[in-house]
Amino acid sequence: MRDPLSGKLPVTLITGFLGSGKTTLISRLLKHPDMKRVAVVINEIGEIGIDPDLVTMSSENVSLLANGCLCCTVRTDLQETLRELFGQRRAGQIADFDRVIVETTGLADPAPVVQTLVSDTMLAAQYRLDGVVTLVDAVNGAALLEQQPEAKKQIALADRILITKSDLSNEAAITVLREAIHAVNPQADSRIVLMGVIEPSELTGLGLASARAGAGTLRFLGEALDGSSESGERYLRERTGSRHDPAINTLSLRFDTRFTWETFSAAMELLTTLRGPDMLRVKGIVNVDGKAVVVQGVQHIFHPPVELDRWPSADTGTRLVFITRNIRAETIRGLFAAVSAVTANT
Amino acid sequence: MSLNAPKPAGRADQTLSLNMKLLSHHGLAGFGGMGEGMAMQQTRDGRRIMWMAHESAPKNFTGVDVTDPRAPKLVVQTELPHMQVRSNSLDVVGDIMVVAYQTKTVNLKPAGIDIFDISTPEKPKLISHFDCSGPYSRGVHCVWFVDGKTVHIASGAPDFQPRNPLDDQFYRIIDISNPAKPVETGRWWYPGTREGDAAPAPARLPAPFDMGFRTHNTNVYPERPDRAYIGYIDGGAIVLDISDQSHIKVASQWNHSPPFNGFTHTVLPLFKRDLWVVSDECVMDDGKDWPKLVWMVDARNEANPVPIGTFPMPPPDVFTKRGGRFGAHNLHENLPLPLSFQSDTIVVCTFFNGGVRVYDTSNPYQVQEVAYFVPGAPTMSPSGAIQLNDVYVDERQIVYTMDRFGGGLYVLEMNI
Repeated sequence: MRDPLSGKLPVTLITGFLGSGKTTLISRLLKHPDMKRVAVVINEIGEIGIDPDLVTMSSENVSLLANGCLCCTVRTDLQETLRELFGQRRAGQIADFDRVIVETTGLADPAPVVQTLVSDTMLAAQYRLDGVVTLVDAVNGAALLEQQPEAKKQIALADRILITKSDLSNEAAITVLREAIHAVNPQADSRIVLMGVIEPSELTGLGLASARAGAGTLRFLGEALDGSSESGERYLRERTGSRHDPAINTLSLRFDTRFTWETFSAAMELLTTLRGPDMLRVKGIVNVDGKAVVVQGVQHIFHPPVELDRWPSADTGTRLVFITRNIRAETIRGLFAAVSAVTANT
Repeated sequence: MSLNAPKPAGRADQTLSLNMKLLSHHGLAGFGGMGEGMAMQQTRDGRRIMWMAHESAPKNFTGVDVTDPRAPKLVVQTELPHMQVRSNSLDVVGDIMVVAYQTKTVNLKPAGIDIFDISTPEKPKLISHFDCSGPYSRGVHCVWFVDGKTVHIASGAPDFQPRNPLDDQFYRIIDISNPAKPVETGRWWYPGTREGDAAPAPARLPAPFDMGFRTHNTNVYPERPDRAYIGYIDGGAIVLDISDQSHIKVASQWNHSPPFNGFTHTVLPLFKRDLWVVSDECVMDDGKDWPKLVWMVDARNEANPVPIGTFPMPPPDVFTKRGGRFGAHNLHENLPLPLSFQSDTIVVCTFFNGGVRVYDTSNPYQVQEVAYFVPGAPTMSPSGAIQLNDVYVDERQIVYTMDRFGGGLYVLEMNI
């Protein structure tokens, strides 16, 4: 049988605080020799400043660069642009590409882009969201995180965080920033990037790439599987945010009963309907009628559930990690219990 | 895009791919012009050998060790006795390999099949030769050998005089239970094609598409040992009832030509789903015989096979200008052998300059292309473009495909 994920083109979203150096990063990236067969979608080609000598072929909105990278500007909206990219590729009008990097200039909130990728059926058939990379600058990042809810959301949605301009800051300030980031999103790894110098491979391999329970899938599930040594209904972990935001919590929940998909999705829908904005992320493995199903969501947006070909280990318990704002683990557990009880009686 | 700029996919130097990755490429010692015979052997010392028949002389067949698909190693390459013969097709079961021989003109030798003991792949040992030469015969174009004892062939015969010289190869069953003494146990030809037939001669396709009422692929599977699935070139797709080999009868017949341009090549049954995948062969350069397609046929009622769709193809306006042939040809044929990938939904096809393409047929009315690989033009290729001729997929889902002119063997990984 086909793997429902592996044949799809991975899409990485690059987002970042204002002035965090996205333009520098993208313009460096476009010249990188390893960017062959990557399509980069940007808002405004003028901002990036591509040397015309490097452009080997060009259509209305797509330029093929000398290193084999496709640079594509958004025409109407991102949805339309991604559809066109795929269509033009199929028609042999543009060079082939194996992955897409989208720069979300001017978008403070990447959630709608994520929503587009998972809800547009044509896009979802050809692409999969690999992950969100967020740039934070070391000089202003900590202050923005304190002051702006959008900034906090960008951190919460990120799979990887790139700390820029560390040369203009100091070690103590970077440590404080890292702590602040960790408090909001303990799952994302953060790394330092100077002058936009980055390997393209650092922007990829962030998401679930296969429904096979191999090494990559385990790496993706990460913390969600960490609770496997603990068992029983008593297993419950709640880690509150640091002094930066005591309202943001990381909750690890375990359920040892099987769910039907109906029960599980009804409970999640109820939770996101009532508290969508406060459900920053959820990721985990769910026992649906005995099968291992990976779920992941950002706020009210859920990726299509992926049934793994097997359980990664002997542990067949449901394990979920939530990052929430002002929601307690007992609340979620209570809601699942209530929904299970209601659906059991139907 | 400016009007005159070549579209990237139309440039034959460009390698194109979707969900497929090149693991390795082997030029086969400079003799990389390959036919349509690919088979895999598991040797007693644990190696995997890919056996390949060459498209034309001087080479006969080549064995490559593909145990590590990233590092294929040439094991053996053999010579043909002269330049007027080609091998084109071969099959392997265990340590026995059957190789076809077809001559350029009638009445030449060797025209028939060779049976080799390949237990030591470095030194293939000839066990016997089954002669099919004759005053009207060019010998054997294709072999099918999957049960270890029966060879199904598209062949001429010393006693067979076709009414039209283009109809010289027909279906023959050769029993090689004793590989030292092959014997014919059955044969069938399209009624009206043999001199002396009571049936009238079949109506020819108009020039230049008149390629002959003769047999191409002759597939027989353990699921239906009483059926032979035959691509009968201009005679269409023919399924024969071979339960009584001395009285072979037609069970099904479906022909899209005319109005299409003939050359039915392979009939691949998907047994669990009562479907056939039928491929044409493109035989003319630059799209002159377009469209040459892969068809999905509903075979629930074998007396009335119904075409329900064709496989999506890359854009002909781009590929017919890429050089050489562009259109359907060989399929991976779900060989009922342990080292062969077997799927009732995934179909892998070669399309000459359209490369190798992978299809998901889960919805037979709307087949989806899920992967492809089109290598850039091999150096010195006379057609100036890749011409992928045949494909084999092993049970690890590694894809092996070879070029008709010079490109040799490409080993690919599917990400589907």
